[in-house]
Amino acid sequence: MDAKTLIDQWLAKLFTRFPALFRRWVRTHRFVEFDDVPWTAFQGKAAHSRVALITTGGVHLKSDAPFNMRDPAGDPTFREIPADVTAGAWTITHNYYDHSDADQDINVVFPIDRLRELAESGEIGTMNRRHFSFMGHILPPHIHTLLHTTAPQVARLLKQDKVDLVILTPA
Amino acid sequence: MGLIQRVIEAAGIATISITLSRGISRKVKPPRSVYTGFPLGHPLAFPHQRFRQLQLMRLLLGYAETLDTPGQIVVHKLSRDSDPDADCVLCSALDLRP
Repeated sequence: MDAKTLIDQWLAKLFTRFPALFRRWVRTHRFVEFDDVPWTAFQGKAAHSRVALITTGGVHLKSDAPFNMRDPAGDPTFREIPADVTAGAWTITHNYYDHSDADQDINVVFPIDRLRELAESGEIGTMNRRHFSFMGHILPPHIHTLLHTTAPQVARLLKQDKVDLVILTPA
Repeated sequence: MGLIQRVIEAAGIATISITLSRGISRKVKPPRSVYTGFPLGHPLAFPHQRFRQLQLMRLLLGYAETLDTPGQIVVHKLSRDSDPDADCVLCSALDLRP
């Protein structure tokens, strides 16, 4: 393991254990800022809706290429996760948060088992056939790629699937 | 994550997210977000807390149906509710138990 990975993982553990440090980091860090808010009214009820998940927790199938941890600006690509994937078929590649708990239970960052249970109990209409994952540490110049290429690709795939509601979980 | 949420919403699909930082969400302005007070890496609580994870998912579905103000960040902390399977080392370290 190289020095950068060690430092990133150490900082991630520190921010998890001491939320005040994380809040201080947020106050001093520059983020993309917007004045407007996009809005699509949610029609109907969850019990009649097709629901999909998007996580930025770096989750991906073990058979897929891992997210690129070598680029300090992050990796704006995404991975598709089939709804019927078996437990243990995925892993997490993300050095910017402490995922030791999520490694034990993927639902901590990607609640796919819980969404399946809600579909089985009729609390949502149906679970989409696929879900999506990003690695949520993306800096310029990759923010442009995310906003104009990869996130719109995911939006088109979700539209093809006629998804009514997307639940997004950070990490 | 808010950036992705904005793109999905702008494409015509309703979205709701958990936020781990109200500071970031106030800048990025996702359409609908819920802050529940859990730390980084734990948007859906802690490992094997099925009760809490389902509770959080139901919370999101409920707010998705009812929120009608674009950009609203709902603060709904669950960390001191009774939770029958709240049992993990990190919960204790962060004083998240009831």
